[in-house]
Amino acid sequence: MKSLRLGAGMAFWGDSIRAAVDLVEHGDIDYLCCDHLAELTMSILSKQMARDPARGYTADVLPLMRQVLPTCQRKGIKIVTNAGGANPRGCAQAVAGVCRELALTGVKIAVVTGDNIRDRIDDLMTRGIDFTNLDTGEELATVRDKLTHACVYTGADGIVAALDQGADIVICGRVTDVALYIGPMRAEFGWASDDWHHLGIAAGIAHAAECGGQATGGLYSARWEKVPGMEELGYPILEVAEDGTAFITKTATSGGEVTVGTVSEQMVYEIHNPGNYLTADVTGDFTEIRLDEAGPDRIRISGLTGRAAPRTLKVNMGYQAGFIGEVQFTYTWPDAYKKSQRGLEFLRERLRRADFKCEAERVEYLGQNSMWGDLAGVADSEDVLEVVVRYATRCATAEEARKVFTESVPLYNNGPAGVAGIGTRPPLKELYAIWPSLIPREMIEQQVEMVVSG
Amino acid sequence: MSTHRVADLAHGRSGDKGDVCNVGVIAYDDAGFARLRAQLTPERVKEHFGNMVLGTVERYEMPHIRALNFVMNGALDGGGTLSLRSDHLGKVMYAWLLRMPLDPPDEIASC
Repeated sequence: MKSLRLGAGMAFWGDSIRAAVDLVEHGDIDYLCCDHLAELTMSILSKQMARDPARGYTADVLPLMRQVLPTCQRKGIKIVTNAGGANPRGCAQAVAGVCRELALTGVKIAVVTGDNIRDRIDDLMTRGIDFTNLDTGEELATVRDKLTHACVYTGADGIVAALDQGADIVICGRVTDVALYIGPMRAEFGWASDDWHHLGIAAGIAHAAECGGQATGGLYSARWEKVPGMEELGYPILEVAEDGTAFITKTATSGGEVTVGTVSEQMVYEIHNPGNYLTADVTGDFTEIRLDEAGPDRIRISGLTGRAAPRTLKVNMGYQAGFIGEVQFTYTWPDAYKKSQRGLEFLRERLRRADFKCEAERVEYLGQNSMWGDLAGVADSEDVLEVVVRYATRCATAEEARKVFTESVPLYNNGPAGVAGIGTRPPLKELYAIWPSLIPREMIEQQVEMVVSG
Repeated sequence: MSTHRVADLAHGRSGDKGDVCNVGVIAYDDAGFARLRAQLTPERVKEHFGNMVLGTVERYEMPHIRALNFVMNGALDGGGTLSLRSDHLGKVMYAWLLRMPLDPPDEIASC
C-alpha cells in the first residue's frame, strides 16, 4: 500500500529553519509543508507590497530554500508553502533566483493564486456578496476605506493541480494551513475532493502537525522539565497510508518527544467544536480521535473522520485599527507601590494636559497581574522591593500614541524618587483588526501558473 | 492524597481565534477525566475566569484522549490583534484553568 511522509517545515513567519533542515536531511520525507501565515500576516505583507511591488511574501522562505533546496532536489522532496502571502508570483521569482544561485536548473515552481480578492470587492458586492461581519453583523462600509488586505482561506485544489502538473515547489497565497498537507495527500493517493472521510483524516493529522514544535514537546505543560533537547526540537513527520492509517513521529537526530501527551495538547490547540472543524476542504470531525503509542516518539492517530465541506469559504480581511502607545517603568522600596500610583497619576495628568485621546487604556503590574488581571492581586505592602508598571493605550493615530512615551519621560526627574527602567522610546505598534465574513465557494477559483528555473 | 486543583489531574494548552480563547485540558487518567467532566461545567469555568471572559463558555469533549475543550467568547480584550493585554494571544489562559480549585473527591473516588 502506498504511503507518504510529510514533514512540518515551518510553523509561522520567522520560525527557525533548523527543524526543516533536519527533516530534509534525516526525515526520509516526501514533502516539506511550510506554513508562514498567521491571521493578520497578510495585512503586513500587503503593506510591504504597496511600498515595493517585489515584496509582499514572507522573506524567510529564501534562506529556507537556500538551505534545503539542493537536498530536496537530490532526494526528490517536494515543498508546499503559503509563503507567497500577498505576492505569490514575486515569491516564485525570488525562489527561482535562489535556484539560479545554487545552479539548480529545471526546477518546476508552481504559483497558486485566486485567494486575493482585494481588487474584486466592488465586483463581488454588486454580485450580492455583502461581506457582513460574521461576529458583529456590521456592514463592510464601516471599514471599507481602511482595509489593508482581503483574502479568502482557500483549500487544496490548486495544490493538487500544481502537483499533478509535476511541480517540485508549490507557492501559495492564503491557503489554509491544513491545505498544505491535504494537497499532497490528495495528489498522491488520488483521494477525491469529496472523499470526506479521508479528507477529514487528512485535516486532523494536518492539524496535529501544522504548529511544528507544539506537537513534539514545545510548550508541553505536563512535564516540561523532562522534555529532552528543546534547543534542537524536531518538528513533526506525518506518516500516512492511502487507507488513512496515520502516525506522527520525528527524526531520531532531533530533540523533543512525540508522546500521547504532546500530541493531545496540539489537538486541543485553537479548535472550537472538535466535531465541526471547518476548513475549505472538509468539515473535520475529531471527536472520536484516539492516540496510541506505536514505538518511541511514534504515535498512531485514528478515529478521525469528516463530512462535506462548508458551502461558504471564510473571508479574512484586515483593516487599520490604530496604534498602541505604551511605556514601562519601575518604582522601588520603600513605598514602591504608593510611588507607582503617584507616578501613574503624574503620567495621566501630563497626558490630559497634552490633550491626549485614546480608545482604551490598560495598567498592568508586571510580575504580578499582567497575565490574569483582576484575578491576581497586586502587592501594596511597604516592604515590597519593586513594582513594575506597564501602561498601554490604544489610539487612533500614531501622533496620539507617541504622547504616552513623551509624557512619561519627565518621570525620570520630576516625579517621585526611586524610579528606573523607562528606557528609550519603543517602536509604535501598528494595529490591524480582522473583519471576518463568508463567501459562497463557487465565487472563488484558484489558478496555477508554472515557473521553471533556468 | 487529596487533590486540590485541576493541575493535579490534567495538563492543558490555550490559544486564540479573534476574541475567542479556547482552553483545552487533558486528564492524566480516566478517574481524573470523570472528576473534571463532573466539576468543570461551563458555568463554573466562566465564573473562575471572572471579568477576563465577558461572553459565554462552551464545552466540548474528545473522550478517548480525555480532553475537555472550553471555548470562551469575549475572552481576549477585543481579540489578539487589538488587545492591550501582555498575553494578547491567550497563551497562558490554560494555566488559570489549571489553578481552578476542585471539590474534594467523594468517598468512592478517594479509596
